[in-house]
Amino acid sequence: MTTHSVPLHRIAITRSGDKGDIANIGVIAFSADLYLLLKERLTPARVKQYFKSMVRGDIVIHPMDNIGALQIVMSQALDGGATRTLRFDQTGKSMSVLIQSLEIPFGDNEMALVPPRPPFELAE
Amino acid sequence: MERAERDKERYKTPQKVRLGAGAGYWGGELEAAIKLAKEGAVDYLCFDQLAELTMSLLERQRLKNPEHGYIPDIVTHVEQLLPVMRETGVKVITNGGGTNCAAAMDKALAIAGRQGYGDLTVGAISGDNVTAKLDELTRQGWKFTNLDTGEDDLGAIRDSIVSAHAYIGADGIVEALRQDADLVIAGRVSDNALYVGPLMHEFGWSFEPPYVDRIGAAIALGHVVECAELVCGGMSNLWRISPEPWNIGYPIAEVSADGSAIVTKLPGTGGIVNEWTVKEHLVYEVHDPSRYVMPDGIADLTALRIEDLGKDRVRISGGRGLPRPDTFKVQIGYRDGFAAEAIYLIGCPNVIEKAAKAEEIYRGLLARSRIVPLDLRFDRIGVDAISGGVFDDPPESQVRECGFRIALRTRTREEAMIARAHFLRVTLYGPVGLGWGAPAAVRPVISLWPTLIPRDAVDISVAVRKASA
Repeated sequence: MTTHSVPLHRIAITRSGDKGDIANIGVIAFSADLYLLLKERLTPARVKQYFKSMVRGDIVIHPMDNIGALQIVMSQALDGGATRTLRFDQTGKSMSVLIQSLEIPFGDNEMALVPPRPPFELAE
Repeated sequence: MERAERDKERYKTPQKVRLGAGAGYWGGELEAAIKLAKEGAVDYLCFDQLAELTMSLLERQRLKNPEHGYIPDIVTHVEQLLPVMRETGVKVITNGGGTNCAAAMDKALAIAGRQGYGDLTVGAISGDNVTAKLDELTRQGWKFTNLDTGEDDLGAIRDSIVSAHAYIGADGIVEALRQDADLVIAGRVSDNALYVGPLMHEFGWSFEPPYVDRIGAAIALGHVVECAELVCGGMSNLWRISPEPWNIGYPIAEVSADGSAIVTKLPGTGGIVNEWTVKEHLVYEVHDPSRYVMPDGIADLTALRIEDLGKDRVRISGGRGLPRPDTFKVQIGYRDGFAAEAIYLIGCPNVIEKAAKAEEIYRGLLARSRIVPLDLRFDRIGVDAISGGVFDDPPESQVRECGFRIALRTRTREEAMIARAHFLRVTLYGPVGLGWGAPAAVRPVISLWPTLIPRDAVDISVAVRKASA
């Protein structure tokens, strides 16, 4: 089976923010099927590998089955938190944008799940 | 309707309560809030103006001048809101009292007096400042463990502490409303307490077991609307389809007595409210969504049902919660060195190589002055300023220009001043570049030490006064 790489922004929307030195990213899947797939493949290890230059602590991912979302919580993620960090992005708001380029592996038979555009744009 | 008549109406347990978000941060647009009050038939306007750092900044202002310490915008806000409050009966709840709610109340009452609004009743809440309690509780054996780092020796930073504030709940707001306050000025209440308070008051909820789920629902709802435009298509993945973002409307929550609610905005305003914008904000700054721990309760955000009703209306129901915790979260701010930063512009060819040379020169300058910064950072804006290391560098041929940023934090102001003076030399001693204005002044850094305090160690009190009294 051929494996494809689908960037996260094709299958989900994201929003991130901070509390102290903890950054979190909410990832909301475009459909129930995509949510199940993300739940399996968007693992803490994959996220940690992706953000290895930015996140020094643990990563935990909480499911939100009710809205088809994953809550990624990253410790020691902001170089000391918004008030002390030297980063341009003090509050980690752009981490939600960064993660949208993370590639998720998809099988051939799963590619049909990827919508041509986000559902809220299709509805227009 | 006459005020007395309106008040009589209010004493009945209402079917629905309409809450409007007046601000989601310090600097929100007052026009959007006033429009909500005038056209939105809202019973309450709630203003969240505090971020994690704000209390320390305000406390520093208060220590310099005992008349300061509240969000200064509150003065113009009150001036402009009072006529609308008088006209519509809308009540206003704000956490803009910062570290000096009493001074903010004096200001508000003086403004009301000048505007001839003698029957304005103002409530001010205090007790969130727990700075004076730290030593006593430590002596009694309480550990102020840092929730971020696990460190538990507060002594290590004791002499550098600027302020310590507990995130208190809705108790004070409920009490002020019970005493007929039209304007409630709070300090470090949790953001969502601004919304939980009026709902508890209007619907007669308490913290007893029968109301725990409804308070959980109210916390979730407060969370969804407390950042104002961020649930209406602001800072959003829906930017392509959000109409007229320059006229973005602030959200309205129409809440029923069972805690379910409809989130909407005014017709004719810009932005958008749909299932996606609500979900976007539901996940914002949440850790374990099944246990969203707040001073008024622990909300289970995984129990909520979100239904898009169309036309900028979304129903939120199914809220659940657990009883409020025995501790409050406390944010301790402490002095933690000084920071300086500068930006240069570097043009092609060889942008990446020149940036590397500039970094080498700056490191050399610091070493020559024997400055070992606590933190040091170099960014190439346009290449890696926000993606720091996540992507590989592009080939030189693809980089036309970049902003080259140096930022550092030092132990002393003197070190930061010397380091700042060296910024200029990076271009003067190295490759041709372009300074981007004068570097910002050296700034003191305040770090935060998040921790917990026992609930019963915090004394919340409420003062209520009338303008004419």
